[in-house]
Amino acid sequence: MDTRPRDPEALTQAILARTSGAPCRRVEALACDFVDGGLDGAQADLLRGHLAHCAACSALVRALAESGRLLPALAEADPGPWFTQRVLRSTSRRPAARGTDARAAWRRLLHRPRIALEAAYLGAVAGMMGLYAPVPWHSLVPPAQVWTAPLQGPAQRLTRVVVRTERHTAAALRRTFRPLRETAPAGLWRRAVAKVRGWLKRIEAALKQANP
Amino acid sequence: MEPTPLLALVRSGDELAWEAFVRRFQGRVFGLAYHYTAQAEDARDLAQEVFIRIYQNLALVPDEDGCLPWILRITRNACIDHLRRGKARPPLWDLSADELFDLRSPDQSPEEAHLEAVRKTMVHRALQELTDLNREIILLKEIQGLGLEEIAALLDVPVGTVKSRSSRARLELAQKLAAAGMGG
Repeated sequence: MDTRPRDPEALTQAILARTSGAPCRRVEALACDFVDGGLDGAQADLLRGHLAHCAACSALVRALAESGRLLPALAEADPGPWFTQRVLRSTSRRPAARGTDARAAWRRLLHRPRIALEAAYLGAVAGMMGLYAPVPWHSLVPPAQVWTAPLQGPAQRLTRVVVRTERHTAAALRRTFRPLRETAPAGLWRRAVAKVRGWLKRIEAALKQANP
Repeated sequence: MEPTPLLALVRSGDELAWEAFVRRFQGRVFGLAYHYTAQAEDARDLAQEVFIRIYQNLALVPDEDGCLPWILRITRNACIDHLRRGKARPPLWDLSADELFDLRSPDQSPEEAHLEAVRKTMVHRALQELTDLNREIILLKEIQGLGLEEIAALLDVPVGTVKSRSSRARLELAQKLAAAGMGG
């Protein structure tokens, strides 16, 4: 039986398969230059000749040309009708920056993504030092009444600041501490909380005593 | 108005000039942010944050040709920070891309406009399937039109790498589009 290909295209494919292989990889190497018009005439003609017979390469080159046409059009997107107003509202009360505004710098510092984590870390380190210090450190400090007496005013102001700050950071700190609470040994977390509560009660009592 | 006189007016505190500046660049900033985040709301927040940053650093905005690359650079940095913060969160598609890229030309019929929007959506989706470096090179070179040197500086890779990667990235994108039926 005669198995030789009768269709000229099939014959070409059969010859290529037994010699150089299909030239599609060569097309991949030249396709961008071809689409950009960077190939010389002879090479471009050769490539066109292949494309006329290879559906896959032809689709690839068409997709390349189409994406080249569409990509620059993706540079802009419509953020919606209220976007400009939102930007203008959020910049209208801000002075044009000079980079020396301490308040703005402090705000930027507070808005940093890791501020809650860093605060929690410092708090945890301080807590651990308090829990495991070889010396009962609170016995080294004079009675609270003694050191709080000259600090009544500043202490009250500090308390107000702490309360205000706490409102903003409590949620973030809760989120940060949740995994620690869940993974810490049961007794350790309870002891730490009891210790902090004890300190807060002592400070509260001292403040009350100093300012009845 | 050219960027330089507009910037001079913005720096002098002219609110109308600032509005014109925002309107002029908001599409580019939001477009780039959307390509990175794939979420319209996140992209909007990031774009707003970028404009606030620009407003706070007006003295640093370069004049003329350097203006847009500088804006795109800080937009990219904001997007990278955002993605790093939410690395564990998989990207979600909260709004179809054809609504976002529906900046149709007035001489297009509704059918043509729809087909164009579908094609843009296909390209946008195919972009998300590229490797990070290839996607960034396409975003910055083919979409935003930055030069090879600017991209190399931005991505901290040699110019030669950007050049060779650019063709490979375009080809990879075209292969994905051809597989999705575009060009067939």
